[in-house]
Amino acid sequence: MENRLIITKYSDQYYPPTPNNFTLFLRRSIIVQLFRFMVLNYKIIKIVVKGHS
Amino acid sequence: MANIVVLGAGVAGHTAAAYLQKGLNKKDHKITVISPTPTYQWIPSNIWVGVGRMTPEEIKFDLRPLYKKWGIEFIQAKAQSFFPEGDDQIKTGFVEVEYTNEEHKGVKRKVAYDYLINATGPKLNFEATEGLLPGNGNIASVCTFGHASHAWELFQEKLDKMKKGEKQTFVIGTGHPTATCQGAAFEYILNVDFEIKKRGLEKQAEVIWITNEYELGDFGMGGAFIAKGGFISNTKLFAESYFVERNITWIKRAGVKKLDDHKIYYENLDGEYLEQAYDFAMLIPGFSGHGFKAFDKTGADISEKLFAPSGLMKVDADYTPKPFEQWSIKDWPETYQNPSYPNIFAPGIAFAPPHSISKPMTSKNGTPIFASAPRTGMPSGVMGKVTADNIIHWVKTADPTIKHKASMGKMGAACIVSAGYGMRKGTAATMTVSPVVPDWEKFPEWGRDIKTTMGEPGLAGHWLKWLMHYMFLYKAKGLPFWWMIPE
Repeated sequence: MENRLIITKYSDQYYPPTPNNFTLFLRRSIIVQLFRFMVLNYKIIKIVVKGHS
Repeated sequence: MANIVVLGAGVAGHTAAAYLQKGLNKKDHKITVISPTPTYQWIPSNIWVGVGRMTPEEIKFDLRPLYKKWGIEFIQAKAQSFFPEGDDQIKTGFVEVEYTNEEHKGVKRKVAYDYLINATGPKLNFEATEGLLPGNGNIASVCTFGHASHAWELFQEKLDKMKKGEKQTFVIGTGHPTATCQGAAFEYILNVDFEIKKRGLEKQAEVIWITNEYELGDFGMGGAFIAKGGFISNTKLFAESYFVERNITWIKRAGVKKLDDHKIYYENLDGEYLEQAYDFAMLIPGFSGHGFKAFDKTGADISEKLFAPSGLMKVDADYTPKPFEQWSIKDWPETYQNPSYPNIFAPGIAFAPPHSISKPMTSKNGTPIFASAPRTGMPSGVMGKVTADNIIHWVKTADPTIKHKASMGKMGAACIVSAGYGMRKGTAATMTVSPVVPDWEKFPEWGRDIKTTMGEPGLAGHWLKWLMHYMFLYKAKGLPFWWMIPE
């Protein structure tokens, strides 16, 4: 993200959203991610259960 | 006594063999697994071998002691021809195989069966793209543990050059106009980028994604819509954001035709013929069938009854050609049973899909450039189990009614996209789609269940990927209560 200035304006790379520092913090925070780990496991288990007839 | 033969010992074949031996009495029934190599590999972790975070030994194990314990006969050989009606000497169906082990290399043998599971996966069709063979100059692959190990050696050479101040260009993506498995290449490019930055070498590196996808985030499944941050957005944004965050650039709608030691030659959907210079390339090849032949009891060639033109096996899919707008989840198979010979099944990548999931696109010169349908580990494992369950039911009751079904138009899949290794600094995107093939009739707005289709980047994804590595190897090794771990 620190290199965003070198991205050529009007190229495909110029337009997509980039995470801000708070979002990056959330993605790396051990406490937040421990919680997300449990949530993601629950969601995956739901899909797994649905996938087996 | 039922005689069941499983061709292939990958995710689908090994899963089927494991459940067959669990569900059937081995004193009364015989299970045989035929595979060219005696090794099981957990393919999703090849990515970590390709960046030196794991060794091949950590992601594979020898199947022979396990099969001996389970009472399964293992034949190290590759299938060549199918004889579903038998011949003058063998009255049941049989397959002709050729040994690949040192002791009997090249020797042919006929293996009879009552039930056959063809789980031979794809042929990695490197030959379809001129110059793509891994090990050829600056070209790597992560399709097998051996390829991934070589990729790591080549990557180290490039890291050393960058340490000496040389600039290097890394091009990673798809190596054929209709290749699939974009997800694996996506993981690899993110891990390569992670390792370069970890060593502080990003100023010496240019990292480029090249893909046959119409838009990034297609992944061969037509992309997906996910709810995040108050919006429902397409995985295009998700994938592009991942790349922009890392300063990775991309070339999309590109059908790679040829590589030499320093240049990739490709055609795009606009019909332009372009070149991209590179110092390190990891491009996923096209997939095809293995070129098997099939014969009836008179010796007449009936290959078209068993196999689609791609060489993959025909199953209970609707292969009627129809335009993209008329595609439906009903086109997709549920039982993986061959329509001409119901005692033959083809779970995993061995079955011929009715069509792609992504919309087929053609360049102005008539070259098809689009992502073929992927079939990742989770659906392959489910198909393998369902096939085993159906055969067990058939054997035990003599009732050929298929009780268990698993359509990619109904089942979901989870894919953990690693983007860097480390229990504190690692990251991955957890992606789930439900169903794999969009069902626009049931979910007219987004094609999939928006509550269970998601994409979430973060450290937790790395823990999940790490956990799945050990969990699925535990299951594959048949350790206590392995069957409690779902596919």
